[in-house]
Amino acid sequence: MTTAVANPRSGGSGARSAVAAAARQLVKSYGSGETRVTALDHVDVEIARGAFTAIMGPSGSGKSTLMHCLAGLDSATEGRIWVGEQEITGLKDKKLTRLRRDRIGFIFQAFNLLPTLDALENITLPMDIAGRKPDKEWLERVIKTVGLSDRLKHRPSELSGGQQQRVAVARALAARPEIIFGDEPTGNLDSRAGAEMLGFLRRSVDELGQTVVMVTHDPVAAAYADRVLYLADGRIVDEMNRPTAEAVLDKMLRLAANTPHTAGELGANGSRP
Amino acid sequence: MTVFKASLRNFFAHKGRMALSAVAVLLSVAFVCGTLVFTDTMNTTFDKLFAATSADVTVSAKKSKDRDSRQETDKPPTVPASALSKARSAEGAKSAEGVVSSEKVTVVDEDDKNVGSSTGAPTIAGNWTVGDRRTMEITSGRAPRGPADVMVDADTAKKRKLELGDELRTITVTGDFTAKISGIATFQVTNPGAAIVYFDTETAQRKLLGATGAYTGLAVSADSGVTHGLLKKNVKASLGADTYTYQTQKEAADSSRDQIGSFLDVMKYALLGFAGIALLVGIFLIVNTFSMLVAQRTREIGLMRAIGSSRRQVNRSVLIEALLLGVAGSVLGVGAGVGLAIGLMELMGYLGMNLSTSELTIAWTTPVAGLVLGILVTMLAAYLPARRAGRVSPMAALRDAGTPADGKAGALRGVLGVLLCGGGGAGLYAATKAEKAAEGSVWLGVGVVLTLIGFIVVGPLLAGGLVRVLSVVTLRPFGRVGRLAERNALRNPRRTGATAAALMIGLALVASLSVVGSSMVASATKELDRSVGADFIIQSGNGQPITRTVEKKLKASKNLETVTSYKIVNARITAPGGKPDGAQLTATDPSYMRDLRRETKSGDLDAAYDRDSMSVGDAYAKKNDVKVGDTLKVAFGSGRTAKLTVAAVTSDDSSVDKGSMYTDIATARRYLPAGQVPPNTIMFGSAKDGQEDAAYTALKKEMKPYPQYQVRDQADFKQTLQDQVGQMLNMVYGLLALAIIVAVLGVVNTLALSVVERTREIGLMRAIGLSRRQLRRMIRLESVVIALFGAMLGLGLGMCWGAAAQKLLALEGLKILEIPWPTIGSVFIGSALVGLVAALVPAFRAGRMNVLNAIATE
Repeated sequence: MTTAVANPRSGGSGARSAVAAAARQLVKSYGSGETRVTALDHVDVEIARGAFTAIMGPSGSGKSTLMHCLAGLDSATEGRIWVGEQEITGLKDKKLTRLRRDRIGFIFQAFNLLPTLDALENITLPMDIAGRKPDKEWLERVIKTVGLSDRLKHRPSELSGGQQQRVAVARALAARPEIIFGDEPTGNLDSRAGAEMLGFLRRSVDELGQTVVMVTHDPVAAAYADRVLYLADGRIVDEMNRPTAEAVLDKMLRLAANTPHTAGELGANGSRP
Repeated sequence: MTVFKASLRNFFAHKGRMALSAVAVLLSVAFVCGTLVFTDTMNTTFDKLFAATSADVTVSAKKSKDRDSRQETDKPPTVPASALSKARSAEGAKSAEGVVSSEKVTVVDEDDKNVGSSTGAPTIAGNWTVGDRRTMEITSGRAPRGPADVMVDADTAKKRKLELGDELRTITVTGDFTAKISGIATFQVTNPGAAIVYFDTETAQRKLLGATGAYTGLAVSADSGVTHGLLKKNVKASLGADTYTYQTQKEAADSSRDQIGSFLDVMKYALLGFAGIALLVGIFLIVNTFSMLVAQRTREIGLMRAIGSSRRQVNRSVLIEALLLGVAGSVLGVGAGVGLAIGLMELMGYLGMNLSTSELTIAWTTPVAGLVLGILVTMLAAYLPARRAGRVSPMAALRDAGTPADGKAGALRGVLGVLLCGGGGAGLYAATKAEKAAEGSVWLGVGVVLTLIGFIVVGPLLAGGLVRVLSVVTLRPFGRVGRLAERNALRNPRRTGATAAALMIGLALVASLSVVGSSMVASATKELDRSVGADFIIQSGNGQPITRTVEKKLKASKNLETVTSYKIVNARITAPGGKPDGAQLTATDPSYMRDLRRETKSGDLDAAYDRDSMSVGDAYAKKNDVKVGDTLKVAFGSGRTAKLTVAAVTSDDSSVDKGSMYTDIATARRYLPAGQVPPNTIMFGSAKDGQEDAAYTALKKEMKPYPQYQVRDQADFKQTLQDQVGQMLNMVYGLLALAIIVAVLGVVNTLALSVVERTREIGLMRAIGLSRRQLRRMIRLESVVIALFGAMLGLGLGMCWGAAAQKLLALEGLKILEIPWPTIGSVFIGSALVGLVAALVPAFRAGRMNVLNAIATE
């Protein structure tokens, strides 16, 4: 981890592999017997380091579950998961917590910030929890990048939705994690704020070498990624490199036609701006 | 109807969150009902006892109406034997017998151990009569027949492991005498604790009264068909209306009960007072619960309003929930109260007081009082939150979820709080400056109540500052987790304020009483050091005055250089040209001047012990314009009237013997009939210089056969004083523990509900890497800082109350203010521990929360 702190561009725990996270034959199911629901059905996936990956799929396709499993928030029913070189399947809560704290960053759709802390305190929170001193230069650069220099002493309730999400991005970047996971990070934003936010994520990949994984059902958002994975019924059904919004939308509509029972919903999602 | 249904659903959906509030109601109601059942049961027990032991008509020596002139002597007043035959021949009398009974006795076993009750119940010695056979049955051996026989009650025999043939020594006014246990008699009604010994009539007369031919009373039984009232009239007619006191069975039982009843009433109201404090504390818990439930349900309420519920309906739905809570808590509380009463009776059994559960008395008023109180208080406490719920705007349904808006402490609150505190402070100040205790205590009461309410009102405003100050010391060392805890404690000052206020009430009382208690000990100790010169103080522990035998023994002791007798003589004292003022003379030996150093304002205290001389206190002298050399008319109760010359005016600046008028015992003896010289209530002794220790050991040994008298040197005396105050304080602390427990439940409740409210925050923190341990620590620290905040308010307020009370009581001799820092300090530290304990369950539950549920987007 010391190397991770010393070298922001590569992130990671010293290992230089091209894979930031991976899952093999990952199964996640809830309940048992007849009421058993399979959210992930033998998924194999590799997340490339230094790239921006989008996971797409209709509601109930398992995309959020996949992200939760890869991020160490949820445990696998079967299969194996790695973050960098380290296998995380079977890790106890204590180690998983440290993994999330030290190697992973999160941006949620809403409720990203603690209301009692101001913007700066929210940004440094993961490092404070770990008892680490933030790297001042790096912190300033992150804050400048997301344009929050004059909002640092504001409480979340005094910030707009877009500003709040920018604080969340800054928090995710500030600790220089190996991977940042975003769960519909633009879901609650208008299109301008959303575009701004996606721009930050894109730049963090291009300029800082950050690895980003984002769950979304918005083709426009997905178009910012290097690679898009399509999930349906708990399986990866397709993927696309260097996507454009039109190509993503097109593919989704075609996938929807192939899986009739989710077509209506997909269509509705797909038509969103 | 739908409103009711919705309330019902809500109530059961949130029953976990209501549980602690219900416990608070339960505890308070149980305390109230338990107290009522317990005291009612004691009353029943005594009623039955007195009804069973009183004769149809009782004749006893006339009690003087004039209390001032009634002289307590060492022998009980008697009725001559001649009256007995007259009573027997009265119309309607079936039989009459003479009763001899005295409570001024001590009975010891072969090891010189007192066999009497240790709970303050009397030891009664008397003759075994026909009347006694109604209530007691000889269960082993036989009735006493001669001077060598004694019969003892079975409870005492069992408690003191006495058997037939064991020797008992009875210490009476006439001396000591030993008898063997000839029989053991068992009560057929519940006897709460008196130790009873029986002799045959002649022995009882000789030993207890000093003469045959007299009784302490006559017990007359009525022929069948003759009412007690009629019999009383007839007996009165044949004995003379004004000669004796006549009582029917009911009158006798009532007068006996009135004596003990006033003690029971004091106990009852004291216990109810503590229950009231717990109830008051419970109010805070309930207010907090409903405030938080309403806050958490803001969106839901907004939706109800949006689809057409009226304010009244919303308001009422909350009140209905409160009603359900009140009913559930009170019903359980009434049940628990009966259990508590039974438990108390068991506990009393261990302490030597017999109460039988067969006499358990549950008056219909008890459950009614419990239910009404519990329900009313709950509804009252829920009123404000219910009103706030009614004010929720329909727009709330459309707003973002998340934590509810933080309650801001308002300016009105600040003004009101400062006014109340100011008014209360002025009251306390007035109390310290009061010239009369009665007037001052009114100010003190006003001051205490106003400052308490003021602190409750202003508490949320103080939370900001004080929690920050406390956090610097206690939380900051824990880094970010500590600061998160601090922010959480500060985010809703009203909630933190109310939670801490509940703790504050109990701790303020603890602090003020501990200040008064230790000031009491310190003042008395200083006074003793200043004024008491005697080496040893001999006092009775059970109310039996010092018998002549023991007095003679002490006077003859070779270990003591001087021995001082001390008698209180009733007399009416009239100053020249004035009205009678003053009812008591303190008659002592001249050596008392060295035993107790008194300052004189004028004259010479030595001369007050000359023939026909006396001294008066400063206040008396000023009031009646008496100077040294004046002559006072002293009418001795049941004796002659003397003219005594005032030889000295003593200073009133002392809490020992304040205002006493001294005269020599020899002077008093000259004007009192021989049998009317009162016994010593206390005695003093001094050893030769340098031989105090040896004398003390020897004296203790000498007094060993008389366990009812305690010999103490000055160090012992101070220790006893301290122990007594300590015991009293411990009892009060024990009773206040209930209020503190309820307050701690309040802390648990607030934390538990806060954790639920912050589910998403907790999930977020866990997701970005807060460990379970850190999370638990965060909640514990929040709890600690709330508890410390409450303790700080409570201890501060309590110390002010205590200091004001001490300044007021300085008029009564409580001159030194002593703050018991060790107690205050340990209460403060103890509060931090209490905070830790209160956080156990909420912290555990927060740690167990599922991260994914917590962060799941809607």
